[in-house]
Amino acid sequence: MDALIVIFVSGIVAMFISMTHKPALVLATALIGLSVGIGLMVNQWYNPYLLFDYNGLAFGRGEVIYSVAAMAFSLLIIAGGYTYFKREPEHTGEYISLILFSLTGALCMIGYTDLFMFFIGLEILSIPVYVLAGSKKKDLQSSEAGLKYFFTGAFATGILLFGTAWVYGATGTFDLRELSNILAEGTANGPLLFVGILMMMASFLFKVGAAPFHFWGPDVYAGSPNIITGYMASVVKMAGLYAFLKLFTYVFAPVSDLWSGALFGMIVLTMFVGNLSALRQTKFKRLLAYSSISNAGYALMAPMIISDASLFNLWIYLLGYGFAVIALIVISLIVNDESDDIESYKGIGRKNPWIGFVLVLSVLSLAGVPPLAGFFGKYMVFSSAFATYPILVILAVINSGIGVFYYLRFVMVALSSEDAEQAPVLKPCVLQWGVLAICAIGLLLSGYITL
Amino acid sequence: MELFALPLVFALIALVAPKSKVNYVGLIGAVVSMVVSFIHVAFFSPDQYVSLFAPDFMLTFGLTFKMGYDGIGLFMVVLTNVITTLILLSNLNREIAHNRAFNALVLLMQFGLLGVFTAMDGIMFYIFWELTLVPIFLISYWFGSADRKKPLMKFFIYTFVGSLAMLLSFMALGTYSSSFAYEDLLAVQLTAKTAFWVMCGFFLAFAIKIPLFPFHTWQPDTYTVSPMAGTMLLSALMLKMALYGMVRWMIPIAPEAMDTLSCLVITLGMIGVVYAAVIAIKQSDIKRLFAFASISHVGLIAAGIMLFNKDALAGAFIQIANHSLVALGLFLAADILERRMGTRNMYEMGGVAKLAPKFGFWFAAVAFASVSVPLTSGFIGEFLLIKGLYNYSWIVGLVAGTTLVLGAVYTLRAYQISMFGAPKAEAFSDLTWNEMLTFFIIMLIILVLGIYPQVIIDFVGPSLDLTIESVKGTKVIVQ
Repeated sequence: MDALIVIFVSGIVAMFISMTHKPALVLATALIGLSVGIGLMVNQWYNPYLLFDYNGLAFGRGEVIYSVAAMAFSLLIIAGGYTYFKREPEHTGEYISLILFSLTGALCMIGYTDLFMFFIGLEILSIPVYVLAGSKKKDLQSSEAGLKYFFTGAFATGILLFGTAWVYGATGTFDLRELSNILAEGTANGPLLFVGILMMMASFLFKVGAAPFHFWGPDVYAGSPNIITGYMASVVKMAGLYAFLKLFTYVFAPVSDLWSGALFGMIVLTMFVGNLSALRQTKFKRLLAYSSISNAGYALMAPMIISDASLFNLWIYLLGYGFAVIALIVISLIVNDESDDIESYKGIGRKNPWIGFVLVLSVLSLAGVPPLAGFFGKYMVFSSAFATYPILVILAVINSGIGVFYYLRFVMVALSSEDAEQAPVLKPCVLQWGVLAICAIGLLLSGYITL
Repeated sequence: MELFALPLVFALIALVAPKSKVNYVGLIGAVVSMVVSFIHVAFFSPDQYVSLFAPDFMLTFGLTFKMGYDGIGLFMVVLTNVITTLILLSNLNREIAHNRAFNALVLLMQFGLLGVFTAMDGIMFYIFWELTLVPIFLISYWFGSADRKKPLMKFFIYTFVGSLAMLLSFMALGTYSSSFAYEDLLAVQLTAKTAFWVMCGFFLAFAIKIPLFPFHTWQPDTYTVSPMAGTMLLSALMLKMALYGMVRWMIPIAPEAMDTLSCLVITLGMIGVVYAAVIAIKQSDIKRLFAFASISHVGLIAAGIMLFNKDALAGAFIQIANHSLVALGLFLAADILERRMGTRNMYEMGGVAKLAPKFGFWFAAVAFASVSVPLTSGFIGEFLLIKGLYNYSWIVGLVAGTTLVLGAVYTLRAYQISMFGAPKAEAFSDLTWNEMLTFFIIMLIILVLGIYPQVIIDFVGPSLDLTIESVKGTKVIVQ
């Protein structure tokens, strides 16, 4: 809770400091706020008596690791995107404080124990992102992205509220613990509850960009400023997936027969839609968008498994995914190509070996090549699902095989030695070097974390 | 620890070494690892298991990080180190060797291979197995010929998908076992049906890497477009991972499925032996010819391994060593021809033996070793394998025997067309000292092993006995 407040306050402070037109001060505020927030959370991990539980919001150990990851990703995003934010010094504060506000919502979504709090968190998370997606005001695509995301997001929120109302009608409570008791007793089971659960699931799947609710994904990802794409793929996805896991794996577990079949089908659909559509993409961010759809498919396998291990498995998965996406997004910022073609990455990895190294690490991690974090995440999610849903895992593995094709094609473009002569020499700033280094270390080591 | 970690250290050194000396850095790295492995051999008695790395923690899903070796493992380690040294030695004077990335990648590859051969944990094995794919891909991609993109993509996807099948098998095993440590996996008792699918997963991964008959289509193209060092790494070392994997992982872990699958694998191996040899006879591209020859030879080894008796396995290991050395020699010869004649087409070569008598002699020696004439190690290896296959079924033995005849046809034909006849080039510079030294070491080892093969049999024998015992001791539960 203290971390939540710190982040919110640092967002407000950053907004006001931006009136000085000194981007560096805004950045410093945000980074200090985030570092303090991370520090407070880590402190709670080591001193469990500090763990917080209040009506509607509770931070247990599971929430702490997810919050730390979300805050760390936001920190990397803000630091990596600073060169972009400071191009318009009068708006730097807005960008950064909107990200911080959105992060506040993400933390509410991670820590909720009440459907009402969850809804508030979701809105706090989403509204700044709608604005950020459309923040390249003179760019038509960015405006399209903002508008599209806002409209479809509003519909999804409406359906979520509607579903929540049905669930409330069936059970008479918003509180997760009471809900799970009532569901375990089985007294509330009936069409009212089931329709409510399915509506909530649809809205969740919309948020994480799973098929058949994925159509907003590629357009919004491609239209938004690169760094916001990175934020959506890492932090928003993390909050959405964890909220989903918390609600479905722990609360709706007694009625899992009802929703697991539907989720099974949608996971299969998501993986195939994401991977097959990614095969023929020529734009970098659209590729990333479809890859993120397929990754949502793999990640959704964790909530399918009603087990305490799912929480940790999903975390490792999202950690590897987040580091990889942030590294790629920061590299795309450094390359700074308006056309966003994959071809514009020709030879840059050969010409700039260190950037090439990070790029290869992140793409191979997305493809699931050991010993990178992406492999461990995938392995843990898949293997825990194997005992219950072997067919699903086999389909997921087939999809990983399909995925290698487009990941490898990207690597081959970036590393091609013929084009290395014409490739530009990239000059990232110190902050970007730092972000890339942290991402590389994260990709190499985070798979070995045991708690 | 130093046994498998040294190449990684030298790979990092090679990345920062000055460009003019980096070829020596690479070679020294390989030689140092080789000497270290010899020291390990000196303190090793074949019936013991040596643990290299065994931390007392494991990851939540059962990864234990265990590494160690027995006779089989150490044999493969020594083979890897010797072959890597020879590869770097044969490249020493070439332009490619002055590239930092090249030396680092070869050493990284060596690190991955040593990891594969010393991993005593299923997931560790998988990690190192995949780790080798990246350096070999980059070596071929950065230093290969101009038309390399498509074949390499096929190669990467093919092998990666195969490995995923192996990963599925490990996942299935993981549901029965508390950790992935080798002895825990061995202790798992599978039903015949589960064992069948587990073995199929392993088999797909290994069959693609070896490659066995219907899974071989990536191989000739990839061998052709790779630079010499890449081809050597692929044929001399990378496919040996798969043969080793069959002996160490596939069969001991799922012995329950042996009866069902061995017939299939032996048949595929035999088809590969004849099919690849016939195609090799019709080739005009010398590198492609040796690529098909490689398919033909390893098909026989894979079939022999599936028999899983002492003689056949001993033969398989002799043949593994022999094939590595011969492939090294043949691809070196092919590359020397390609480089100095400017073509891979045998019909545009000719008369080289007159222009370069030293090269003519050493190429002939390697060619004869490839044909398995007596006194070379190939003779012993193939003899043991064919004998085993003949005992399995006389038809199989007969088909396996054709490898000797067909092998002689395509190898000697290649030699004759490229080396004899009227000279088609004005000048052909003879071997440089490092090429000569490479050929000399290759032939020396081949002859020593041919005259005294017992040295390999004694070295891997006790470990093989243990493995065979564990496989034979498994009862099959039919459900």
